Amino acid sequence: MNVIYFIFQQTMFFSIPLMIVALGGMFSERSGIINIALEGIMTMGAFTSILFLNLTGGKMSGQSQLLLAIVISMVTGGVFSLFHAYAAINMKADQTISGTALNMFAPAFAIFVARIIQGVQQIQFTNTFRIDSVPVLGSIPVIGPLFFKNTYITTFIGVGILIISTIVLYRTKFGLRLRACGEHPQAADAAGINVYHMQYAGVIISGMLGGLGGLVFVVPTSTNFNATVSGYGFLALAVLIFGQWKPVKIMWASLFFGLTKAIAASYSGIAFLSNLGIPSYLFKMIPYIATLVVLIFTSRNSQAPRAEGIPYDKGAR
Amino acid sequence: MKKKVLSALLSVAMVATMLVGCGSSETATTGTATTEAAATEAATEADTAEATASEATADGYELALVTDLGTIDDKSFNQGAWEGLTKYADENSISYKYYQPQEGTTDAYIETIGLAVEGGAKLVVCPGYLFEEPVYTVQDQYPDVTFILLDGEPHNADYSEYKTNDNVMAILFQEDQPGYMAGYAAVKDGMTKLGFMGGMAVPAVIRYGYGFVQGADAAAAEDGTNVEVMYNYTGAFAATPEAQAMAASWYQNGTEVIFGCGGAVGNSVMAAAEEANAKVIGVDVDQASESATVITSAMKFLSNAVYDGVKAYYDGSFPGGATTTFTAENDGIGLPMETSKFDKFTQEDYDAVYKKLAGGEVKISNDVTDSTTADLTLTNTTVSYVE
Repeated sequence: MNVIYFIFQQTMFFSIPLMIVALGGMFSERSGIINIALEGIMTMGAFTSILFLNLTGGKMSGQSQLLLAIVISMVTGGVFSLFHAYAAINMKADQTISGTALNMFAPAFAIFVARIIQGVQQIQFTNTFRIDSVPVLGSIPVIGPLFFKNTYITTFIGVGILIISTIVLYRTKFGLRLRACGEHPQAADAAGINVYHMQYAGVIISGMLGGLGGLVFVVPTSTNFNATVSGYGFLALAVLIFGQWKPVKIMWASLFFGLTKAIAASYSGIAFLSNLGIPSYLFKMIPYIATLVVLIFTSRNSQAPRAEGIPYDKGAR
Repeated sequence: MKKKVLSALLSVAMVATMLVGCGSSETATTGTATTEAAATEAATEADTAEATASEATADGYELALVTDLGTIDDKSFNQGAWEGLTKYADENSISYKYYQPQEGTTDAYIETIGLAVEGGAKLVVCPGYLFEEPVYTVQDQYPDVTFILLDGEPHNADYSEYKTNDNVMAILFQEDQPGYMAGYAAVKDGMTKLGFMGGMAVPAVIRYGYGFVQGADAAAAEDGTNVEVMYNYTGAFAATPEAQAMAASWYQNGTEVIFGCGGAVGNSVMAAAEEANAKVIGVDVDQASESATVITSAMKFLSNAVYDGVKAYYDGSFPGGATTTFTAENDGIGLPMETSKFDKFTQEDYDAVYKKLAGGEVKISNDVTDSTTADLTLTNTTVSYVE
């Protein structure tokens, strides 16, 4: 039983950042703007918030410090994504290119500023945020160890974001308008919706969630930040596509990715898995093979927003 | 409507630029503050250096260190080398100075070395393997200047030619010895389930790992215990959730201590250890300051190596033209016993095993052709090699 709890807890460390970032990407893409800059946005969000953790280390600790860091990471991500929004929406630039520019800029900037401030590029932080066991809830059998032991407050924030995203996208005026802009912006415009507004909102939300995802990614997995999020921004894009741009499907996709990644990384420490004699490469391949298979079956009726990637032109016919 | 949006956007942009401006100016001030502080420090240092310089020589700074990517307080290669250099220089009233390249390219290094030579340097210390190519070039360019290259051997850009002139001392470390001591100490301290997580399977990492396993085996044989070692190369020198999850699963499975041997991989191991209240062994430098979980570190004593090199230069016995390997015999490696957190492994035990290593009584197999540990003969140790 312990092994199952352990795998589940590890899965969360992989899944939650992937889900948060993929949900961010969803908001941008459903408004019609491809956001390939998620990797760079994650890096920037992680950079400023970890720097904050570093600078306030010793003076602050625990959940209040983490919550402030979360706010900082979201603000950073939101501001940073404005570059992408301006290039893609106002300047009608190629969205892939401006996203790539952000991806290239972010790690370089993080290294440069870290060096100026403290001389070395690795930013140390002290992890005082882990929750051994949530009071009361942690002592419930089965559910307690699964959800409320060895966890981070960010896990619950991630779940909250999922619920809010679903409601916003499907149950609010804003969500409907956002989706309309991604499907047929001219029609949305004709109905009196300001397409630029909506697209800006989509990109900024994706930036905020992307920045948060960066922080959530780094905190449980290292003791310092070295200007990289190891390609998880791109992996989140895969999760987004795997989840067909729908919040609940994205959740399942990220859980699936997280589970296979957790197993691939930790099978050597789990007796019954390492005794199976399956080569580790197979474990490592599963999420990607599954993505390919799913894409093969769903590409015929892909749920991608129709107007995605096409700069909105008011006068287009 | 459009105008409204535009004006709103513009004002947002303006506020944003203002905020960014303020932010950056703030960081800039802190930046200048720190640089000022550093500058004053450097100035005092330079003052002392100059004071000694005026006594010793009239033409600039005799000893120079060119930093690689970090600064001289990077808790790593630069700092270790700098400490060794300043120690000898202070003892013998020789002037010294460090130079920091603008960027981490071969050209920038060569340029900075040139700057040091113009500044009167007779001996230039180059810490880190990144200096292999620059030193290969400058050894011909400045035949009258002496170079000490740490952790590398001079070669040209495509590795087709290795050449160490008489004015160059290349220093390598025998990594299997500190690895051996770490493994030995861990088992002597009562641990029987160990782990090794290396970065890429490069010779230095393999030697550390091989030493670690054999050290553990030797201690187990002495005590008559049986030891299990989990063994893996993550394939990168990066902190990733994969590395963290692997370390966490090992700890979960009962592993007591993991030797995190591969740059940032160690940080992922530390993150996992903090979660599991387990232990970590650091690498290269004393990593005790990075996490409370670090019980000891398999170290290369850079400052000793540099000190010896500089001393040999002034004693007229400079081993130029060859590669010097630092081992236990010449105090080039070891564990930092002052910061180590052992329960049973004492300073006497340490001295005893160190003496054995230095005396050559212990033979460590460090053939790096096969990296899977399958070629090792072990008596009391089972290695589970994880692909």
